[in-house]
Amino acid sequence: MTSKIEQKLRSVARELLEQGKVGTIVGYEAGSLKFTNTPLITKDKEAADRLVINPFIINNLSVFLKDIGGKVGVVAKGCDIRSIVSLIQDKQLARENVVIIGVPCAGIIDLDKIEKLMGKDRDELDDIVRENDKVIVTVQRSKKEYPAKDVLIDSCLACDQPKIKEYDILLDEEATVVCDDEASRSLIKKLEAMPPAQRWEFWKSQFERCIRCYACRQVCPACYCKRCFVEETEPAWISPLPKWQDNLIFQVTRMMHVAGRCTDCGACERACPVGIPLHSLSKKMAEIVQELFEYQAGTDKDALPLMAAYESKEAEDLIR
Amino acid sequence: MTQEPNFEPKILGFLCRWCSYAGADLAGTSRKKYPANIRIIKIPCSGRIDPLLIIRALRNGFDGVLVSGCHPGDCHYQTGNYRARRRIAITKKFLEYMGIEPERLQASWVSASEGGKFAEVVAEITADLKKLGPNRLFNDK
Ligand code: SF4
Ligand code: SF4
Ligand code: FES
Repeated sequence: MTSKIEQKLRSVARELLEQGKVGTIVGYEAGSLKFTNTPLITKDKEAADRLVINPFIINNLSVFLKDIGGKVGVVAKGCDIRSIVSLIQDKQLARENVVIIGVPCAGIIDLDKIEKLMGKDRDELDDIVRENDKVIVTVQRSKKEYPAKDVLIDSCLACDQPKIKEYDILLDEEATVVCDDEASRSLIKKLEAMPPAQRWEFWKSQFERCIRCYACRQVCPACYCKRCFVEETEPAWISPLPKWQDNLIFQVTRMMHVAGRCTDCGACERACPVGIPLHSLSKKMAEIVQELFEYQAGTDKDALPLMAAYESKEAEDLIR
Repeated sequence: MTQEPNFEPKILGFLCRWCSYAGADLAGTSRKKYPANIRIIKIPCSGRIDPLLIIRALRNGFDGVLVSGCHPGDCHYQTGNYRARRRIAITKKFLEYMGIEPERLQASWVSASEGGKFAEVVAEITADLKKLGPNRLFNDK
């Protein structure tokens, strides 16, 4: 069944393509697995009818924008819009070349969390619906209710910018997110309480599992360098072999390179095939940036990027 | 960290050529004494510093890293040191979160006329790092 918001999106997308206001539409269509979606990138107005909006539109589609070229209409949630704004701030994207189709988002449902709570595979579930602060899962006509904050993805729980500020078309009225910053930073809190040596051991054990697939980098809208330092050969900054030391250096350097541009969208953590808790790095970085420089990534398209801006007096206590 | 009685930390210094590098020179020509624990790399401006250079030095066995540039307002490229300061501050905090002691990354403003300050800075951070012990973080296989 097509929802009202989907109908609106489809007609908006069709119109944009028909009138030549955009050359390409980037959105979501139903994926091959139950409940999941897959990006739809199309120039064909007929394909607009395949566009979907549901509580599982997890991908941050802004990652595709730079490579498409021309005018692009993109379906974007609040957090994705922050990534777009950040790209505009970095002059990687011109504002007039994107038509932002804003989707008010009440938080994305984490299918892994649902599977764990239900003890069932997603294929065995009949329906999952969001109703205000609850999520209702139906299996063979019996319903189970969960508080939304138990089943939303971690980066949604940390969302503090649900209000969409930058858009061209807004598909619906504002949605209310259920946030739980404490829950979203529970691992950070645990780590902060540890002595440094223990923290190091924790991260070491995580990066021993990293296979250097670079999926985290590929899905990241802030990682837009044409040539990443890991692929430099003269000098070779880090060994290409997946040794934990180099895996850790790769990720730490990546995080520092995206500081002030990373919106903690959570795409890297979700892409990681070995489950390294990258959100606990990206969120911590966002907290550091906020604390030191009162800066939030992607919230003001006219602001100078974090690393290009400065105040004459700041962080002086860290320098001799 | 286990204490080693005669531990001599290895420090890598990235010094801006216009100020701190000249300051280090002045320390030498004016016969100021400072610990020989520091190895120096000349950089065009403190703004050249990339967190990657810092973490790679630690990975390659240095016990600490010093980045030193012109005082605020004195950078020969106007704003290089301001940008370096943001990067250094973030790197320090983030490395701490990873479990790398913040003392292992040091930064200072040393002008070309501050040979004495350069000697002091090196002496202080050498003492700090002696207390901290060797950087074995990246050692085990
Ligand atoms: S580093 Fe991760 S959380 Fe941050 S913008 Fe990139 S993909 Fe999103
Ligand atoms: S996605 Fe995970 S396994 Fe792949 S390179 Fe990134 S951290 Fe390593
Ligand atoms: S020229 Fe010395 S810090 Fe920029």
